[in-house]
Amino acid sequence: MIRSKKDGGHMKSAWATEISAVFEKEIKTEQRSRAGFLTSLLSSVLIVISLAYGAFGSTLDGTLAAGLFWVALIFAAVAALPRTFLAEEEAGTADLLRLAARPHAIFWGKALFNCLQILITAVILVLLFSVMMGLTIKMPFLLIVSLVGGALGLAGTVTFGAALVAQGSNRTMLVGVVCLPLMIPLIMMGISSFRVALGVGEALGGWTSALGVWFYAFLVFSLAPNLFAMVWQGKRS
Amino acid sequence: MRWILALAMAAATVGSFLAPPAAQFSEPELARIIFFHLPCAFAATVFFIMGAVLGIKALNGGLDADTRAVAANEMAMVLALLTMATGMLFSRVQWLAWWSWDPRQTSFLFVLLIYGAYFALRAAISDDDQRAKVAGAYSAFSILPMLFLVFVFPRLPAVMQKSLHPSTTISGGEFSGIYWSIVLSVFACLLIICLWLYRLAVRAGLLELRYKNEYNQRNHGNTTPPRVVRPVSLSEEGREENP
Repeated sequence: MIRSKKDGGHMKSAWATEISAVFEKEIKTEQRSRAGFLTSLLSSVLIVISLAYGAFGSTLDGTLAAGLFWVALIFAAVAALPRTFLAEEEAGTADLLRLAARPHAIFWGKALFNCLQILITAVILVLLFSVMMGLTIKMPFLLIVSLVGGALGLAGTVTFGAALVAQGSNRTMLVGVVCLPLMIPLIMMGISSFRVALGVGEALGGWTSALGVWFYAFLVFSLAPNLFAMVWQGKRS
Repeated sequence: MRWILALAMAAATVGSFLAPPAAQFSEPELARIIFFHLPCAFAATVFFIMGAVLGIKALNGGLDADTRAVAANEMAMVLALLTMATGMLFSRVQWLAWWSWDPRQTSFLFVLLIYGAYFALRAAISDDDQRAKVAGAYSAFSILPMLFLVFVFPRLPAVMQKSLHPSTTISGGEFSGIYWSIVLSVFACLLIICLWLYRLAVRAGLLELRYKNEYNQRNHGNTTPPRVVRPVSLSEEGREENP
């Protein structure tokens, strides 16, 4: 186990130390390979270019644009985020990780890293949508609130899904099949708040949906780490 | 017991044809399919919740609980497919299209996809204990989107405005007393039949599990046949001296 240490005169809790150690490990692994970030960046650019080309220069309706944005975000997430667990199993480092930190800390560390990654992807996607498809954001604060909540929910769900799929065969194919259905409520509420942020529909409906996104993310993070701990502790390869 | 169940089911079926036609539908006579559509949806939800509860039990290391969870989820899938089939027939007759992208219709399709992924995930894991844990965790987690899609999403005001589904007919008390009594009778009969089928599936699953355990014990926990290893000495150059 990673021990707690004195940091600037304050005793850092063991949990915070373990979570930050897993988070830092993910950042360093990403700095070395850049595989996750490049995958999500390239898939985002490719999706937006394909959509912009397919739209033949016409400006999209807010509802359609919100749907397309979330589809692009989900595919970028499913392409890049599961790597955090799949790479551990492929490299054979999962057992070492089991010895290094408690399951809850592993889940939180990886989920926070995934959240950061999906937030960066979301910002890039918003910029690309604005520049290439001429979208104007009418309610930027609502957009930020719903995107941060959505990123948290997506990161939690994909981290959990990837941890389950990592135990089986045919992982890369299976990860999308397992994660996508679990994200459907998040996608529905995300689209609903995003379209209001783009100026379609009533503000109250948009804020209610954004609240729903945050509530779903809260439920995901209440349930997923506990279920993950039971699966992760049971595995002996 | 079986005779009583058969008689009760027959009585409920006859009652569904004798009930007065629901005047609020465009084809009132053909709207009777809801006597079978609604109970299938209710029973599917019961089995989905049962599958999640048994999945949580399987997480604590129980292959028996996993066998029960699989049987419950299989039963739920069959009932959900029946709900979809009867719903599509209703849609064709009342809304003139097999599939209308109605929010409630689509949300139930998503529920089917969630549980389809459960079986895909199970198929990808070969180790029995690990499969039980992973499937149990997935089943327990999937209760979140399932509850949202079945109970929350269809009741959102914006969704209800756009939906073709006769939700207000049912929740607004527009159903007459005889309709509710037939729906509940069919639901009770269907639930008993499904529980009987579920028990059969569990017994078959537990037998298979016991057979597998006995086979492994007979082979001392080793399912692969023992192999003979012959010593081979090598010279300094690495060539075989005694082949």
